[in-house]
Amino acid sequence: MSDASTVADDGATTERNLVETINRTLAAEMRNDDSVRLMGYDIGPIGGVYRTTDGLLDEFGEERVIDTPLSENGILGTAVGMAMRGERVVPEIQFMGFFYPAFGQFMYTLVKTHERSGGNIDVPLTVRMVCGGGVKASEYHSESTETYLVHTPGVRVVYPSGPAEAKGLLAASIRHDDPVVFMEHKKLYRTHREPVPEEAYTLPLDEARIAREGEDVTVLTWGAMVRHAETAADRVDADVEIVDLRVLSPLDVETVLESVKKTGRCVVFHEARRTLGLGAELAALVNEYAFDRLHAPIRRATGYDVHFPGNVIEEEYLPDPDRAQYAIEAVMDYEF
Amino acid sequence: MALWSEEKPSEDFYRVLAPDGSLVGEPPDLDDDELRALYWTLKQTRQYEERALRLQRSGEVSIISRSRGEEATPLGAAAALEPDDWCFPLYRQIPGLFYWGARMDRALAGLMGLEPETIDEHLPVEEGEEPAVNFSPVYVPLGANLPNTVGSALADKLNDRDTVSLTFVGDGSTSEGDFHEALNFAGVFDVPAVFVCQNNQWAISVPAHRQTASETFAQKGDAYGIPNERVDGNDVFAVYEKCKEAVDRARAGEGPTFVECVTYRIVEHNTADEPSVYRDEEQREYWLERDPVDRFEAYLLNEGVVDEADIEGIEAEIEELVDAAVSSARTVPDSAPEEMFSNHLRGESWNERHQRAELRRELDGENPFTDWTGEGFQ
Repeated sequence: MSDASTVADDGATTERNLVETINRTLAAEMRNDDSVRLMGYDIGPIGGVYRTTDGLLDEFGEERVIDTPLSENGILGTAVGMAMRGERVVPEIQFMGFFYPAFGQFMYTLVKTHERSGGNIDVPLTVRMVCGGGVKASEYHSESTETYLVHTPGVRVVYPSGPAEAKGLLAASIRHDDPVVFMEHKKLYRTHREPVPEEAYTLPLDEARIAREGEDVTVLTWGAMVRHAETAADRVDADVEIVDLRVLSPLDVETVLESVKKTGRCVVFHEARRTLGLGAELAALVNEYAFDRLHAPIRRATGYDVHFPGNVIEEEYLPDPDRAQYAIEAVMDYEF
Repeated sequence: MALWSEEKPSEDFYRVLAPDGSLVGEPPDLDDDELRALYWTLKQTRQYEERALRLQRSGEVSIISRSRGEEATPLGAAAALEPDDWCFPLYRQIPGLFYWGARMDRALAGLMGLEPETIDEHLPVEEGEEPAVNFSPVYVPLGANLPNTVGSALADKLNDRDTVSLTFVGDGSTSEGDFHEALNFAGVFDVPAVFVCQNNQWAISVPAHRQTASETFAQKGDAYGIPNERVDGNDVFAVYEKCKEAVDRARAGEGPTFVECVTYRIVEHNTADEPSVYRDEEQREYWLERDPVDRFEAYLLNEGVVDEADIEGIEAEIEELVDAAVSSARTVPDSAPEEMFSNHLRGESWNERHQRAELRRELDGENPFTDWTGEGFQ
């Protein structure tokens, strides 16, 4: 476990949003290591549809910033082959809703090559996966199906909740020899600025973060939901502890259990659909290993088990501070 | 019982050796030692696979897919490579691996189901004994090898290395999306890759004419801007010659090539398959007369590169090596059950540590489910 204070050095910080932070971190890692190459469609002259790769083609050239044919499976399969030969490839999946054609290469080669080779071949790539709803981008552009990834062994799944976290987690992901899927929630791209240390740093790829300390109830959450949980925590009449998981696979089970054992109450709060969402796994772990410390059942506040709805009603689908607040109040009010 | 009708593929293709072993074209520039090396590998593969089949029938090997009758295609293709090149094989290309010195005992240990870590531990490849060509692990999901090969070739191109990446695709797996995606990327990025289509005309029970309406598989290269060739896949000279041209082109920076090698799967798909259920086995006779090993042997005898006594000597020598490989593979102990956790992610997560402990307890006859705190198995 590490908290936010380990992130910042005593050096200067600059207010940045997530897009700028991703862009600057990619550039820094590319300057740092010639084997870092970006791949994806629309990452070149246009600089990415969200501008996360803006200016990188000019600085690094088309052999480092590689615009590809429109094929997610082709991108991932080619990236795996490059990574097998020592390139530190950073492919982009422009929208998680378009990831599914690449599931073949994900399952067959990305997560398995290291294991099948008896550890003799590394696949040091970092898939940047643009995900999440809330920008009125409609169904296929709003997906949160990280559970498909987390169910699969052999890949780290990293999910920053804001710019400062993203900087250290992305640098660590690119430098790591394991394959990583790095989730970028598009709602976080431009809605929020925070101080980001100018100095280079990495964050561990197996540790959750206590985003807020509290004694009464634990909220397990990640990504864009962390700030909603913080808003809800400010409103309720309870001392809320918020665990920002940061890395969804491998899970930092110690931090989860330690927090819930301390508070005795647990809410899991995620944007993804509920059934077999990661909340199910977290609730199961808490039930198995902290049952006799619970003062209330675990409650999951999540998206519904539906396909992502259209623009007009997406706000009703998406978990928000209200939904987090209801869940926290419900478990606080529960009596055996 | 309904059988598929079979359509013989056109034999309007590049051929150097006629089925009787006579020359109908210009033989490649190979000296007698190189010719004997090719012949040796063909014979080695036959004798190895015969033994592996016996081991399968006796239960020591769970399943195998033989290359019998198709050996000239993977052999001729792999022989066209140079040291430091890369090869991404499927499961029916063992002659290519043997040509470059892959060990039979390690291959057998793999067929016996041992974990790769166990094989590396007990049958280690000593420094300097690695095959000079780099081989990826054998791919089982067909087509998945193809985009990885393109990535390997692109890495070489971007780093100005002159190594070549070569891979295989069956007639069946040309129907996979990965095939289209890989050839498309290969063409667009003009990578130093060679795609060898081992068209054995059967994908388990489904014939080639159910895979495509194209007249040939070779012509698929046209759609991706990739030069292509169509050769007699049972003629090791034809396969070698056209793959060598493709490898040379790739190494010279002239981009990818697609080579269709027409052969026939005269045996079962694998040892769990029974071809008589779905095809007319009389077709086999036609293709047995075009056998790649008999053909090459006839040529070498005609040319005086080997004589009958040499062949007997080679067979006896290989048989001893196969015996030794079987003995060696049998010395490898079963993989420790905990080996299943190896080489997933670096470091040991809580889940991995906890699940390893559960497995150990189960193996020790203890109840693995007694930890109620998450701290019981520390």
